[in-house]
Amino acid sequence: MSEYDVINTRAARVDASDKVRGRAVYVDDIKMPGMLYGALLQSPLAHGELLNIDTSAAERLPGVKSVVTYKEAGLVKYGVSPARYDETLFCHDKVRHVGDNIAAVAATDLDTALEAVSLIKVEYRELPAVFTVEEAMAEGAPALHAAYPRNITAEVHDEFGDVAAAFKKCDLIKTSSLVNKRQDAAFIEPQGCLASYDFSGNLTVYSSTQVPHYLQRIIAMVLGLPVGKVRVIKPYVGGGFGPKAGASHLELAACLLSMKTGKPVKMNFDRQQVFMHGRARHQFFHTMTTGVKKDGAIMALEHKCYLNGGAYSSFGIATVYYAGSLLGGPYKLPNMKYDGYRVFTNLPACGAQRGHGGVIARACWEQQLDMIAEELGMDPIELRLKNMMKAGDVTCNFLDMSSLGMKECVEAVRDRSGWKEKKGKLPPGKGIGMSCGFFVSGAGYPIYRSDTFHGTVIIKLTEDGGTALVYTASAEIGQGSDTTFAMIAAEAMGIPLECVRLESGDTDFGVDLGAYSSRQTLMTGLATKEAGEDIKRQVLEVLSEELHVPIEDMDIKKGFIVFRKEKPDFSALRTRYIKEHRGWTDNPGMDEELSFKEASRIAFLSRGSIVGKGKYKPPELGGTHKGAAVGTSPAYGCSAQVVELSVDEGTGKINIEKMTDAHDCGLAINRTSVEGQMNGSLSMGLGEALFEEVKFDDKGRVLNDDLAEYKITRALDMPAIEPIIIESKEPNGPFGAKEVGEGAIMPAIPAILNAVYDAIGVRIFELPMKPERVYMAIKEYRRKKEEALRSSEGKAPGGSAKK
Amino acid sequence: MSLPEFDFHAPGTVDEACRMVAEYGDKAKIFAGGTDLMLDMRRKRISPEHVISIPQIEELKTIDQAPGLLKIGACVTVSRIVKSKEIGAKWGALCAGGKALGSCLVRNLATVGGNLASARPAADMPPPLMAYGASLVLKNTSGERVVSLDDFFKGTGVTVMTPDEILTEIRIPEPPAHSGAGYFNLGIRNACDINILNVASYIALDGPGGAVKSARIVMGCVAPTHVRALAAESLLIGEKPSEALFQSAGEAAMKAATPRGSAYSRASAEYKKDMVKELTVRTLTMAYREAMGLTA
Repeated sequence: MSEYDVINTRAARVDASDKVRGRAVYVDDIKMPGMLYGALLQSPLAHGELLNIDTSAAERLPGVKSVVTYKEAGLVKYGVSPARYDETLFCHDKVRHVGDNIAAVAATDLDTALEAVSLIKVEYRELPAVFTVEEAMAEGAPALHAAYPRNITAEVHDEFGDVAAAFKKCDLIKTSSLVNKRQDAAFIEPQGCLASYDFSGNLTVYSSTQVPHYLQRIIAMVLGLPVGKVRVIKPYVGGGFGPKAGASHLELAACLLSMKTGKPVKMNFDRQQVFMHGRARHQFFHTMTTGVKKDGAIMALEHKCYLNGGAYSSFGIATVYYAGSLLGGPYKLPNMKYDGYRVFTNLPACGAQRGHGGVIARACWEQQLDMIAEELGMDPIELRLKNMMKAGDVTCNFLDMSSLGMKECVEAVRDRSGWKEKKGKLPPGKGIGMSCGFFVSGAGYPIYRSDTFHGTVIIKLTEDGGTALVYTASAEIGQGSDTTFAMIAAEAMGIPLECVRLESGDTDFGVDLGAYSSRQTLMTGLATKEAGEDIKRQVLEVLSEELHVPIEDMDIKKGFIVFRKEKPDFSALRTRYIKEHRGWTDNPGMDEELSFKEASRIAFLSRGSIVGKGKYKPPELGGTHKGAAVGTSPAYGCSAQVVELSVDEGTGKINIEKMTDAHDCGLAINRTSVEGQMNGSLSMGLGEALFEEVKFDDKGRVLNDDLAEYKITRALDMPAIEPIIIESKEPNGPFGAKEVGEGAIMPAIPAILNAVYDAIGVRIFELPMKPERVYMAIKEYRRKKEEALRSSEGKAPGGSAKK
Repeated sequence: MSLPEFDFHAPGTVDEACRMVAEYGDKAKIFAGGTDLMLDMRRKRISPEHVISIPQIEELKTIDQAPGLLKIGACVTVSRIVKSKEIGAKWGALCAGGKALGSCLVRNLATVGGNLASARPAADMPPPLMAYGASLVLKNTSGERVVSLDDFFKGTGVTVMTPDEILTEIRIPEPPAHSGAGYFNLGIRNACDINILNVASYIALDGPGGAVKSARIVMGCVAPTHVRALAAESLLIGEKPSEALFQSAGEAAMKAATPRGSAYSRASAEYKKDMVKELTVRTLTMAYREAMGLTA
């Protein structure tokens, strides 16, 4: 039995009914009187000088209300990190990728807006473009941004310990590489917004964003408005996964058009524009060298990585740091060297996606650890357990494992999957593989340098005392955070979940950095808990005054006042309460326990509005080296996974049969939601491992910009999943809770890589593992084996590559 | 994304529909299930002035199993074919083709006629239908003609149909005793995929355990249209089925196939050629097992 009344259960989501019945309001459901429709003119060229923009024909088209270019928008630079603000709302000197933004139109309907866009005449001088890391970094390559020589957005050179010295003491040194493909996060709801500038000079923006707070600040900065005049409201959002964690041209253009026209302006990306806007997972080229002792002790890691970043920085400077820093754990690694380069190319910008920066690095390394285990003759699980950190350990790059249920995760997936009975004993074509992973529970620092609180929460009791209104600016984007915070608030106040009404996603409710880096459960959660406790304290203070009972002798649980010692006579209070509610049918009977509702009504009568406040910001964390901020977190979630699969060796097609997944989320606020995040992570990891790849033609145009040719995991591709929740009780989290949203994706790809090797005896070093890649790897392996045999024995081999 | 403007017509009979296509000719597109057409129109790849809907025409929605011949109306949905026990019992490879098409929702709308008339080289219905020796009824205001499916496709998106014709019926002969067929489609994922390669094979034996009397092997995704592997077929005729025989048929099909592949296409030519062999062997084996009564 749990010690809690509300959390750590399987509560139904507070938004479930509205979403299932189609009542939930998403941004495109919102309409306003006199609303205009906006459309963007986007570059058809990957790289070109802008010579002239002629908007006159577009402006003359009936129904067109405004046409804006950089002349109206100005040239304020923005982006994600202030260290790399390199975008303007509209291009003015040149275009840097197909889909780069040149102008926007507002008109009375969408067709007119689109027609007007087609009437804008742009003269370009086409420039040579670079699409690959090699092209971009080559001597004499065209520079996308004058300020960044060799097209390097950011480079990282870190060494912790002494890798070269450690390698000298190693018995085995292994080098391998891994490359993935650019991803699209493939959220179901394309970005959309509605901006409304009123005649008092207030700008209200409804947007399908993950980060209302950052959006508010960027809009204010780019358009020159006081922050207090900009209100961002996030309705329900159909998924984000990272690319919606920054301001976009769409939102800024809609704001500008609304300010120019004095009317509400709606804008949406279509699916093609989602691909052209990008901002999802980078393409990473990892090469890693790991040195170990004979007994499996990991001594050192040398790691080099290049990221194909696209035309703008977006999150890239953080991504390139994460790609290195997140390998600090969960294994004891005394020496680590990392060289990372994030490179501009004439493609849509890449940014952050679930498991930001760490996913492919983790996959590369966890595959390499399996290769090492095999050479050492160790079971891969034994190797991992031997090197595992434990709670209280600090990594060589100063990440503090304040809680770490990693060993418990590994043991759980080992035992529940039947690993010992299966590993090394499966027939050819069938394989089993495992991996570990870990991730931050929120970034230790905001994206802009600031001492701001990362989250503030206000709870207000209704005057009748029956309902607690929770106001948080956090972002429910489908992950279930509204339910999580309603549960935390209810638990902290000691009242049932039904008595909590929560509003979120509105910058008027306070500051919250939003839904990214798996931060909300821990950070918004702590602020919510503090606000709830503040409410409880205030109500009990009034009761203490009225009943002359010391506050420490009382508590609130399940909506009733608990008197720890002698129960006082509260009949006078009750009589007062009932008198105020004459004619009401739900008044308490005289023999009932004193309810929270009565107590909080009395509190209102005594003090006016009862408002509880909560706030959170992490303490100073991490090391002092350059870039130390990236990877620091008040807590780390961790996970382990076992994948069982079969490979059709005749076609190369992989069929994932079972995934056993354990995740340490500290404490599950809502067990169903935790499992939902685990399953979602596996689905996304499976898609990235097997199917997903954004393809471009030789002009930098996306070839597969729809969900028919960009293939994400569908229901029929999902295997049986066994999710196992591990609870290590994080000391820095609310009630012990920490992340699950992103960490759970970490082991998915490497566990599949390792299982594929177990099935076919061939290592794959490039994603996705579509049938052709696997088949060709098997074919090449057999050809080489045959050659080797022919030269040694003159005999032809047969059967599976595995044996 | 909005659709281009067009006039929508919903004739009640085939005759009425024929008069409409005669009148509008290539300014019109026929809407059978819309699962391909709507995508093309939304993407503005085509902008017909007229869209003539035909799934409401009752006579196009019948399945008629006469002795020796199965007649399927052009607007029978793929999900009806998949669910039909009668079709499944004798034309199992056709049901397999249907099951491979899109998702459940797409199959509820997509029609067998539409899947043929759109003439996509990766389509799932043409290989099994060609393997079973299907022919098509094409109607216009002056009458009808019957064309073998072998002769129907002229290129990607192009068929022998003239702008005034409507595909009304698919006729499939009943497979003789000791015959069987198999269909295999290879995609990247398990549903809603676009095939990398698909093959259907049909063989009829000269009695149980006898030699191959007739054979048809049909490949998709290796050419602008679905094509027969004629060399492989003739290699089978008169021979006793064996693993080795199917392997050499697969080799022959592979040698004859000339798929194109580029960095931008769904698969390389080398992989497709290897898969022609692999899927030919697999589908011949499936066909043989059915012919021998070895399948459930």
